Amino acid sequence: MPFVPDERSGPIDWEAVRDMVPLCIPAVPFGLVVGLAMSESAMPLAAGQTLSTTVFAGAAQLATVSLAGIASWWAVVLAVAVINARHVMYSAALAPMFREQPLWMRLISPMVLVDQQFALMSMYPSDDPRSVRRYYLTAGIGFWVVWQLTTAIGIVVGPAIPAGLRLGFAPAVMFTGLVVLSIRTSSTPRAAAAAAIAAAVVSGASVGLRDRLGILLGALVGVIVGSVVESRDRALS
Amino acid sequence: MSGAEAWVIVVFASVVTYASRSVGIWFLADREVPVVVERALRHVGPAVLAALVASIAAGDGGSWPSIDVPELSALAVAAAVAWWHRNVLWSLSAGLVTFWLLLAVVG
Repeated sequence: MPFVPDERSGPIDWEAVRDMVPLCIPAVPFGLVVGLAMSESAMPLAAGQTLSTTVFAGAAQLATVSLAGIASWWAVVLAVAVINARHVMYSAALAPMFREQPLWMRLISPMVLVDQQFALMSMYPSDDPRSVRRYYLTAGIGFWVVWQLTTAIGIVVGPAIPAGLRLGFAPAVMFTGLVVLSIRTSSTPRAAAAAAIAAAVVSGASVGLRDRLGILLGALVGVIVGSVVESRDRALS
Repeated sequence: MSGAEAWVIVVFASVVTYASRSVGIWFLADREVPVVVERALRHVGPAVLAALVASIAAGDGGSWPSIDVPELSALAVAAAVAWWHRNVLWSLSAGLVTFWLLLAVVG
Protein backbone atom coordinates (compact mmCIF):
# COMPACT_ATOMS: atom_id res chain seq x y z
CA MET A 1 0.00 0.00 0.00
CA PRO A 2 1.44 3.35 -0.97
CA PHE A 3 2.47 6.01 1.49
CA VAL A 4 1.85 4.12 4.70
CA PRO A 5 3.63 6.26 7.26
CA ASP A 6 6.31 4.63 9.36
CA GLU A 7 4.87 4.48 12.90
CA ARG A 8 8.18 5.40 14.45
CA SER A 9 9.17 8.33 12.33
CA GLY A 10 6.36 9.51 10.02
CA PRO A 11 6.27 9.69 6.22
CA ILE A 12 8.95 12.38 5.88
CA ASP A 13 12.62 11.49 6.18
CA TRP A 14 14.24 14.64 7.57
CA GLU A 15 17.68 13.36 6.69
CA ALA A 16 16.57 13.38 3.04
CA VAL A 17 15.28 16.93 3.39
CA ARG A 18 18.59 18.02 4.92
CA ASP A 19 20.56 16.35 2.11
CA MET A 20 18.32 17.67 -0.68
CA VAL A 21 18.20 21.35 0.37
CA PRO A 22 21.75 22.19 -0.77
CA LEU A 23 21.03 20.49 -4.11
CA CYS A 24 17.84 22.54 -4.53
CA ILE A 25 19.65 25.86 -4.14
CA PRO A 26 21.34 25.97 -7.58
CA ALA A 27 18.23 24.42 -9.12
CA VAL A 28 16.23 27.51 -8.14
CA PRO A 29 18.07 29.99 -10.40
CA PHE A 30 18.22 27.31 -13.10
CA GLY A 31 14.44 26.82 -12.81
CA LEU A 32 13.97 30.59 -13.10
CA VAL A 33 16.06 30.58 -16.30
CA VAL A 34 13.96 27.71 -17.69
CA GLY A 35 10.78 29.63 -16.79
CA LEU A 36 12.16 32.72 -18.52
CA ALA A 37 12.86 30.65 -21.66
CA MET A 38 9.30 29.28 -21.51
CA SER A 39 7.89 32.78 -21.43
CA GLU A 40 9.85 33.61 -24.61
CA SER A 41 9.09 30.33 -26.40
CA ALA A 42 6.76 29.68 -29.32
CA MET A 43 5.29 26.95 -27.15
CA PRO A 44 2.10 27.75 -25.19
CA LEU A 45 2.86 28.41 -21.50
CA ALA A 46 0.62 25.56 -20.30
CA ALA A 47 2.57 23.09 -22.47
CA GLY A 48 5.88 24.49 -21.22
CA GLN A 49 4.88 24.21 -17.57
CA THR A 50 3.57 20.65 -18.17
CA LEU A 51 7.12 19.75 -19.24
CA SER A 52 8.25 20.65 -15.70
CA THR A 53 5.71 18.20 -14.31
CA THR A 54 6.27 15.21 -16.58
CA VAL A 55 9.74 15.61 -18.10
CA PHE A 56 11.27 17.30 -15.01
CA ALA A 57 14.74 17.86 -16.48
CA GLY A 58 16.22 21.35 -16.81
CA ALA A 59 18.54 20.83 -19.77
CA ALA A 60 15.98 18.89 -21.81
CA GLN A 61 13.28 21.47 -21.04
CA LEU A 62 15.55 24.33 -22.13
CA ALA A 63 16.27 22.51 -25.39
CA THR A 64 12.57 21.81 -25.96
CA VAL A 65 11.28 25.33 -25.43
CA SER A 66 14.08 26.89 -27.48
CA LEU A 67 13.72 24.41 -30.37
CA ALA A 68 9.90 24.51 -30.39
CA GLY A 69 8.69 26.44 -33.40
CA ILE A 70 12.14 26.18 -35.05
CA ALA A 71 12.59 22.44 -35.44
CA SER A 72 10.03 19.78 -36.39
CA TRP A 73 8.33 18.01 -33.49
CA TRP A 74 10.24 14.77 -33.95
CA ALA A 75 13.59 16.60 -34.01
CA VAL A 76 12.68 18.17 -30.66
CA VAL A 77 11.72 14.77 -29.22
CA LEU A 78 14.97 13.29 -30.54
CA ALA A 79 16.97 16.06 -28.84
CA VAL A 80 15.18 15.29 -25.55
CA ALA A 81 15.93 11.57 -25.96
CA VAL A 82 19.65 12.24 -26.50
CA ILE A 83 19.96 14.75 -23.66
CA ASN A 84 18.14 12.44 -21.24
CA ALA A 85 19.90 9.25 -22.35
CA ARG A 86 22.23 9.52 -19.33
CA HIS A 87 19.22 8.57 -17.19
CA VAL A 88 19.45 5.03 -18.60
CA MET A 89 22.74 4.71 -16.76
CA TYR A 90 21.19 6.12 -13.58
CA SER A 91 18.37 3.59 -13.53
CA ALA A 92 20.75 0.74 -14.35
CA ALA A 93 23.16 1.80 -11.59
CA LEU A 94 20.38 2.10 -8.99
CA ALA A 95 18.57 -1.11 -10.04
CA PRO A 96 19.90 -3.24 -7.11
CA MET A 97 18.26 -0.74 -4.76
CA PHE A 98 14.86 -1.65 -6.24
CA ARG A 99 15.26 -5.40 -5.83
CA GLU A 100 13.07 -5.40 -2.74
CA GLN A 101 10.77 -2.52 -3.68
CA PRO A 102 7.08 -3.05 -4.56
CA LEU A 103 5.68 -2.46 -8.03
CA TRP A 104 4.13 0.94 -7.21
CA MET A 105 7.54 2.18 -6.04
CA ARG A 106 9.16 0.98 -9.27
CA LEU A 107 6.47 2.80 -11.27
CA ILE A 108 6.68 6.13 -9.41
CA SER A 109 10.44 6.32 -8.86
CA PRO A 110 11.51 6.97 -12.47
CA MET A 111 9.39 10.16 -12.50
CA VAL A 112 11.84 11.86 -10.13
CA LEU A 113 15.13 10.18 -11.10
CA VAL A 114 16.96 13.41 -11.93
CA ASP A 115 20.71 14.12 -11.67
CA GLN A 116 20.48 15.33 -8.07
CA GLN A 117 18.32 12.41 -7.00
CA PHE A 118 20.76 9.95 -8.55
CA ALA A 119 23.72 11.65 -6.84
CA LEU A 120 22.01 11.32 -3.45
CA MET A 121 20.87 7.72 -3.95
CA SER A 122 24.23 6.52 -5.27
CA MET A 123 25.74 7.51 -1.92
CA TYR A 124 22.89 6.11 0.20
CA PRO A 125 23.31 2.71 1.91
CA SER A 126 20.73 0.34 0.39
CA ASP A 127 20.38 -2.29 3.14
CA ASP A 128 16.89 -1.41 4.47
CA PRO A 129 14.16 -1.24 1.75
CA ARG A 130 11.82 0.81 3.98
CA SER A 131 14.31 3.54 4.72
CA VAL A 132 15.45 3.58 1.08
CA ARG A 133 11.82 4.16 0.10
CA ARG A 134 11.22 6.99 2.59
CA TYR A 135 14.50 8.66 1.71
CA TYR A 136 13.93 8.33 -2.05
CA LEU A 137 10.36 9.64 -2.02
CA THR A 138 11.02 12.50 0.40
CA ALA A 139 14.00 13.77 -1.58
CA GLY A 140 12.49 13.14 -5.01
CA ILE A 141 9.02 14.54 -4.43
CA GLY A 142 10.45 17.46 -2.44
CA PHE A 143 12.75 18.39 -5.30
CA TRP A 144 9.94 17.95 -7.82
CA VAL A 145 7.74 20.43 -5.90
CA VAL A 146 10.56 22.97 -5.74
CA TRP A 147 11.06 22.62 -9.51
CA GLN A 148 7.34 23.18 -10.29
CA LEU A 149 7.34 26.36 -8.20
CA THR A 150 10.60 27.82 -9.53
CA THR A 151 9.85 27.30 -13.23
CA ALA A 152 6.38 28.81 -12.74
CA ILE A 153 7.86 31.79 -10.89
CA GLY A 154 10.55 32.06 -13.59
CA ILE A 155 7.89 32.74 -16.22
CA VAL A 156 7.02 35.90 -14.27
CA VAL A 157 10.27 37.12 -12.68
CA GLY A 158 12.89 35.62 -15.04
CA PRO A 159 13.41 38.82 -17.03
CA ALA A 160 14.39 40.66 -13.79
CA ILE A 161 17.44 38.48 -12.97
CA PRO A 162 20.70 40.34 -13.75
CA ALA A 163 22.54 38.41 -16.48
CA GLY A 164 25.86 39.53 -14.92
CA LEU A 165 25.46 37.04 -12.06
CA ARG A 166 25.87 34.20 -14.60
CA LEU A 167 23.60 31.95 -12.54
CA GLY A 168 23.62 29.32 -15.26
CA PHE A 169 27.03 28.34 -13.92
CA ALA A 170 25.77 27.50 -10.40
CA PRO A 171 24.82 23.88 -11.24
CA ALA A 172 28.39 23.21 -12.43
CA VAL A 173 29.71 24.35 -9.04
CA MET A 174 27.24 22.14 -7.18
CA PHE A 175 27.91 19.06 -9.32
CA THR A 176 31.66 19.55 -8.74
CA GLY A 177 31.07 19.19 -4.99
CA LEU A 178 29.00 16.06 -5.64
CA VAL A 179 31.71 14.52 -7.86
CA VAL A 180 34.28 15.02 -5.10
CA LEU A 181 31.92 13.56 -2.48
CA SER A 182 31.17 10.54 -4.65
CA ILE A 183 34.93 9.93 -5.01
CA ARG A 184 35.48 10.29 -1.26
CA THR A 185 32.66 7.90 -0.39
CA SER A 186 33.61 5.35 -3.07
CA SER A 187 35.02 1.98 -2.02
CA THR A 188 37.50 2.37 -4.90
CA PRO A 189 38.42 6.09 -4.80
CA ARG A 190 41.31 5.80 -7.26
CA ALA A 191 39.09 4.26 -9.93
CA ALA A 192 36.28 6.74 -9.20
CA ALA A 193 38.69 9.67 -9.59
CA ALA A 194 39.99 8.25 -12.88
CA ALA A 195 36.40 7.83 -14.11
CA ALA A 196 35.56 11.44 -13.23
CA ILE A 197 38.71 12.94 -14.80
CA ALA A 198 38.37 10.94 -18.04
CA ALA A 199 34.67 11.82 -18.31
CA ALA A 200 35.31 15.53 -17.74
CA VAL A 201 38.12 15.70 -20.32
CA VAL A 202 36.16 13.86 -23.03
CA SER A 203 32.93 15.74 -22.32
CA GLY A 204 34.69 19.10 -22.34
CA ALA A 205 36.60 18.31 -25.53
CA SER A 206 33.43 17.20 -27.33
CA VAL A 207 31.17 20.05 -26.19
CA GLY A 208 30.82 21.09 -29.86
CA LEU A 209 28.78 17.97 -30.64
CA ARG A 210 25.08 18.62 -31.17
CA ASP A 211 22.44 17.99 -28.50
CA ARG A 212 25.11 17.75 -25.79
CA LEU A 213 26.04 14.29 -27.02
CA GLY A 214 29.42 14.93 -25.40
CA ILE A 215 27.96 14.34 -21.92
CA LEU A 216 26.99 10.81 -22.91
CA LEU A 217 30.28 10.17 -24.68
CA GLY A 218 32.28 11.48 -21.70
CA ALA A 219 30.24 9.41 -19.24
CA LEU A 220 30.77 6.20 -21.24
CA VAL A 221 34.53 6.77 -21.54
CA GLY A 222 34.66 7.61 -17.81
CA VAL A 223 32.89 4.39 -16.83
CA ILE A 224 35.26 2.33 -19.01
CA VAL A 225 38.39 4.07 -17.66
CA GLY A 226 37.14 3.65 -14.08
CA SER A 227 36.54 -0.06 -14.64
CA VAL A 228 39.99 -0.56 -16.18
CA VAL A 229 41.72 1.24 -13.31
CA GLU A 230 39.70 -0.75 -10.77
CA SER A 231 40.54 -4.13 -12.29
CA ARG A 232 44.23 -3.15 -12.51
CA ASP A 233 44.20 -2.10 -8.84
CA ARG A 234 42.56 -5.40 -7.91
CA ALA A 235 45.15 -7.36 -9.89
CA LEU A 236 47.99 -5.52 -8.12
CA SER A 237 46.65 -5.89 -4.59
CA MET B 1 3.71 26.35 -34.14
CA SER B 2 0.22 24.96 -33.57
CA GLY B 3 -1.05 24.15 -30.09
CA ALA B 4 -1.59 20.53 -31.12
CA GLU B 5 2.04 20.20 -32.21
CA ALA B 6 3.22 21.59 -28.85
CA TRP B 7 1.21 18.95 -26.98
CA VAL B 8 2.49 16.18 -29.24
CA ILE B 9 6.02 17.26 -28.24
CA VAL B 10 5.05 17.29 -24.55
CA VAL B 11 3.59 13.77 -24.68
CA PHE B 12 6.49 12.20 -26.61
CA ALA B 13 9.16 14.03 -24.60
CA SER B 14 7.53 12.79 -21.38
CA VAL B 15 7.32 9.19 -22.61
CA VAL B 16 10.91 9.16 -23.86
CA THR B 17 12.19 10.61 -20.58
CA TYR B 18 10.21 8.19 -18.42
CA ALA B 19 11.44 5.28 -20.53
CA SER B 20 15.09 6.27 -20.08
CA ARG B 21 14.64 6.57 -16.31
CA SER B 22 12.78 3.30 -15.85
CA VAL B 23 14.45 0.84 -18.22
CA GLY B 24 17.29 -0.10 -15.85
CA ILE B 25 15.02 -0.40 -12.80
CA TRP B 26 12.52 -2.61 -14.61
CA PHE B 27 14.94 -4.90 -16.41
CA LEU B 28 17.86 -5.15 -14.00
CA ALA B 29 16.27 -5.04 -10.52
CA ASP B 30 15.22 -8.70 -10.55
CA ARG B 31 18.23 -10.02 -12.42
CA GLU B 32 21.68 -11.10 -11.32
CA VAL B 33 24.04 -8.72 -13.07
CA PRO B 34 27.57 -9.95 -13.90
CA VAL B 35 30.18 -8.64 -11.44
CA VAL B 36 32.00 -6.76 -14.21
CA VAL B 37 28.83 -4.83 -15.11
CA GLU B 38 27.99 -4.16 -11.48
CA ARG B 39 31.46 -2.72 -10.89
CA ALA B 40 31.23 -0.62 -14.05
CA LEU B 41 27.85 0.78 -12.96
CA ARG B 42 29.38 2.00 -9.69
CA HIS B 43 31.46 4.44 -11.74
CA VAL B 44 28.41 5.96 -13.43
CA GLY B 45 28.02 8.54 -10.62
CA PRO B 46 31.42 10.24 -10.74
CA ALA B 47 31.60 9.86 -14.55
CA VAL B 48 28.23 11.39 -15.53
CA LEU B 49 28.39 14.17 -12.94
CA ALA B 50 31.92 15.12 -14.02
CA ALA B 51 30.82 15.05 -17.68
CA LEU B 52 27.92 17.39 -16.80
CA VAL B 53 30.28 19.81 -15.04
CA ALA B 54 32.65 19.93 -18.01
CA SER B 55 29.79 20.44 -20.45
CA ILE B 56 28.26 23.32 -18.46
CA ALA B 57 31.68 24.89 -17.80
CA ALA B 58 32.73 24.74 -21.45
CA GLY B 59 29.61 26.70 -22.32
CA ASP B 60 27.40 26.83 -25.39
CA GLY B 61 29.11 25.87 -28.61
CA GLY B 62 32.41 26.77 -27.03
CA SER B 63 35.42 24.51 -26.82
CA TRP B 64 37.44 23.19 -23.93
CA PRO B 65 40.20 25.83 -23.83
CA SER B 66 37.60 28.61 -23.65
CA ILE B 67 37.01 28.08 -19.92
CA ASP B 68 38.08 31.21 -17.99
CA VAL B 69 39.84 31.92 -14.72
CA PRO B 70 36.66 32.67 -12.67
CA GLU B 71 35.02 29.40 -13.75
CA LEU B 72 38.11 27.24 -13.18
CA SER B 73 38.83 28.85 -9.80
CA ALA B 74 35.23 28.42 -8.65
CA LEU B 75 35.29 24.72 -9.53
CA ALA B 76 38.69 24.22 -7.86
CA VAL B 77 37.53 25.92 -4.65
CA ALA B 78 34.26 23.93 -4.65
CA ALA B 79 36.22 20.69 -5.10
CA ALA B 80 38.70 21.52 -2.33
CA VAL B 81 35.99 22.50 0.16
CA ALA B 82 33.97 19.36 -0.65
CA TRP B 83 37.10 17.28 -0.08
CA TRP B 84 37.86 18.76 3.34
CA HIS B 85 34.38 19.43 4.71
CA ARG B 86 32.32 16.75 2.92
CA ASN B 87 29.45 19.22 2.80
CA VAL B 88 27.71 20.25 -0.44
CA LEU B 89 26.34 23.52 0.95
CA TRP B 90 29.77 24.77 2.06
CA SER B 91 31.28 23.66 -1.23
CA LEU B 92 28.62 25.43 -3.28
CA SER B 93 28.80 28.65 -1.24
CA ALA B 94 32.59 28.84 -1.38
CA GLY B 95 32.58 28.10 -5.12
CA LEU B 96 29.95 30.72 -5.96
CA VAL B 97 31.54 33.43 -3.78
CA THR B 98 34.87 32.76 -5.51
CA PHE B 99 33.14 32.92 -8.90
CA TRP B 100 31.42 36.26 -8.25
CA LEU B 101 34.48 37.88 -6.63
CA LEU B 102 36.65 36.96 -9.62
CA LEU B 103 33.95 38.02 -12.10
CA ALA B 104 33.89 41.43 -10.38
CA VAL B 105 37.69 41.69 -10.52
CA VAL B 106 38.30 40.28 -14.02
CA GLY B 107 35.10 41.80 -15.41
